[in-house]
Amino acid sequence: MAKGIKDRVAIIGMGCSRFGERWDCGPEELIVEAFTEALADAGIDREQLEMAWLGLFFQEQSAGKSALPLSMSLRLPNIPVTRVENLCATGTEALRGAVYAVAAGACDFALAVGVEKLKDTGYGGLPERTKGSFDDLWLPNATAPGAFAQLASAYTAKHGCDPKDLKRAMAHISYKSHQNGALNPKAHLQKAITEDQALNAPMIAYPLGLYDCCGVSDGAACAIVTSVEKAREMGIKDMVTVKAMQLAPSNGLEMSNTAWDGSYLLTTRIAAERAYKEAGITDPVAQLDMTEVHDCFSVTELVVMEDLGLSVPGGAIKDVLDGKFDRDGKVPCQIDGGLKCFGHPIGATGLRMAYEMYLQLLGRAGKRQLKSPSLGLTHNLGGHPFRNVASVSILGLHSA
Amino acid sequence: MTYGILSFGAYIPPLRLSRQAILAAVGWAVPSLRGMAAGERSVANWDEDALTMAVEAGRDCLAGIDVLPPHLALASTTLPFADRSNSGVVADALNLDNRMATEDLAGSRRAATSALARMAHGGPTSLLLSSDCRETRPGSAQEMLYGHGAAALLVGEGKAVAVFLGSASRHEDLVDQYRASDADFDYSLEERWVREEGYLKIVPEVIEEVAKNAGIALSEIDHVVLHGSVDTARALAKRLGIDVKRFVDTLGAKVGDCGVAQPMIMLAKVLAEAGVNERILVVGFGQGADAILLQTTAALSTMQGQRGPQRYLEHHRVTDNYTCFLSLRGQIDIDFGLRSERDNRTALSAYYRKRRDINSMLGGRCRVCNTLQFPRSLVCVKCAASDSQDGETLSNLIGRVKSFTEDWLAYTPSPPYIYGNVEFADGANIMLEFTDFTAGQVKVGDAVRLVFRIKDFDTKRNFRRYFWKPSPLLD
Repeated sequence: MAKGIKDRVAIIGMGCSRFGERWDCGPEELIVEAFTEALADAGIDREQLEMAWLGLFFQEQSAGKSALPLSMSLRLPNIPVTRVENLCATGTEALRGAVYAVAAGACDFALAVGVEKLKDTGYGGLPERTKGSFDDLWLPNATAPGAFAQLASAYTAKHGCDPKDLKRAMAHISYKSHQNGALNPKAHLQKAITEDQALNAPMIAYPLGLYDCCGVSDGAACAIVTSVEKAREMGIKDMVTVKAMQLAPSNGLEMSNTAWDGSYLLTTRIAAERAYKEAGITDPVAQLDMTEVHDCFSVTELVVMEDLGLSVPGGAIKDVLDGKFDRDGKVPCQIDGGLKCFGHPIGATGLRMAYEMYLQLLGRAGKRQLKSPSLGLTHNLGGHPFRNVASVSILGLHSA
Repeated sequence: MTYGILSFGAYIPPLRLSRQAILAAVGWAVPSLRGMAAGERSVANWDEDALTMAVEAGRDCLAGIDVLPPHLALASTTLPFADRSNSGVVADALNLDNRMATEDLAGSRRAATSALARMAHGGPTSLLLSSDCRETRPGSAQEMLYGHGAAALLVGEGKAVAVFLGSASRHEDLVDQYRASDADFDYSLEERWVREEGYLKIVPEVIEEVAKNAGIALSEIDHVVLHGSVDTARALAKRLGIDVKRFVDTLGAKVGDCGVAQPMIMLAKVLAEAGVNERILVVGFGQGADAILLQTTAALSTMQGQRGPQRYLEHHRVTDNYTCFLSLRGQIDIDFGLRSERDNRTALSAYYRKRRDINSMLGGRCRVCNTLQFPRSLVCVKCAASDSQDGETLSNLIGRVKSFTEDWLAYTPSPPYIYGNVEFADGANIMLEFTDFTAGQVKVGDAVRLVFRIKDFDTKRNFRRYFWKPSPLLD
């Protein structure tokens, strides 16, 4: 009888490059930066790494295809490397591969690296790409802000709320993330903003303004994992373990059927329910100490609070404005600054989320440190609200 | 059962350019335009062309009709493809059977009237579409005078609303105006010469011939549709002794001269308003002339109501932004930024597999659970039944906006790029690009109707692809 992943795998080392417009770095430099930190943290030799997973989305417009960008950058000793991709949930997908390899007993030490080099496009946006030979014929040529902005109009219509209140809650979300990011030397944006700045910023895709959108940046993050048994053998006392890793891709229902009302993320709900079950969480608000969710856009974070069961349906606006998810709130969200302050180098983001949870759990988050957290959730979402992949992972202290 | 016109339709694009705005922009260079600067002219949106307008006119004509014509002809001097069956795409968009004949008629302003003159003498049931989207040079008289529009006539055996009394034609290579195949704009010669040597010498011949053969006196003609200017109509009326009030309004004040479609749009207007047993003369002009004589029947009133140009005349938005007009029609090359560099190559073999899904907006209805879905698929999105879907078009359904955004970042020739989830009956939801809406206009819950439009241009390879977009309801 399969038992799931809870407390079978420990993360023993993590690294994260500085995220930002890294004009000075290509993908290789970013990978090395993150890996160097992770390896030192793990306290093992590079030769002990047996398998690796590389998370990377944009291929030729970023670091390239296949195992090779990782194997070549790190001069790995020809160990198996699998490149994985699940849109913006790619970072978590890389971790998932490494975690499952160790849980399966296929190897002792596995490596997960997520990287993206976005700032070689020559302009301030994501690379323009084909959507596919059929999709190109009929789907709108949407941008990410426009696709996620859809949530706002559907949400206000469904809950009958004043669009101005939603806009204010969105502004608070970005303000709150910047308050946190200002304390993070690895973040792309480290300056605080005001809610007024967010409210009055130029419109990008109605109703999302400039400050409702995360930026385009470069970055890499890295994790080294091993079995709990091996970690104990190594003498690691405070262990961060994986409590749950769940993934739910859309199957077309949201996109092609009226069963979905446009105001929430169906796959997030499904993945969260499974993750809570796997991790043994029955009361997320009480049991989770912190979350890193996919705040590509402020409105996304808002609806995800409901999708994760941290707010009741229709209750997120009030909770956000009450400060429930602020640093000093009940369930702090984006304690490192989130995508809002880090930007979104696609392959790296999921691992960057895990990095902050890891630091917080081990008491190493410096000025951002929360008081004795023992369970953290990462939510990593790829695609658009009507068609996407949602990844929910829960990390915690082994004693938890 | 009688042979004649079975139905009619028209289409005028909603955008109108104020002629005062044209004067304000170019009057410094061509002050003589002042005399023409009254009213508006119709302008096809960036995502419209002669093909898409023909589809809309065809829909107007075929609405509520249970006839699948075995023949379709598309007449235009501005077809988007010189070689690629434009009429076939239109037939797909009208969801007609592929076991039928389609014809592309081009090369002359009389392409539609000459087809109608031929059809006057019998033939298979045929949908005759006429459409023109002629571009004009800034500061030209044509810029003021031309409009964009389309019309449709269903001709054949059935409950005819008008029967043919006859036709007559002349060809005379009087080059009053012309456009070479590779040219952008028409070149026109002196109006007075055209009227005196052309209209006043050639047109009376065909009119007198068709009337004589039908045994009709000119005074018995109730409506004269003339493809020509108001001044020309006046001169002809005087020459022929016909009351000038019987010459049909050219719609110059609100629309402009729509080329091949012009006489057909005017005919559609007459048919939409005429009574029983009224005689209509349709005259096409351009290196000769066609004259077609018709008589309305008692069945006409059953086809009147929504059909014809009136709804489209009312459904309009006037702009005074001349620069925007130039840009929408591809006359100036605005720097829309790097996102506009997207390569819109079409994988034509993939398009071929999906041609009906795309052109006819053919979705699938699951035989097991009755759910309508687009795109149609091998596995039902609701009940997961395999291979259970019958093809069903969604193009005539009214949708409901479930979510939307106005995207100022995405590339579109007409910012903002508006798109959203649109719900249809029996469970269908589709994410679609909207058209003809302005910023601030769309609301969740709005009802929308689907129109056939250009989806993308492939400027690198001179191709364009089409799809359906939600647009505002007709008032």
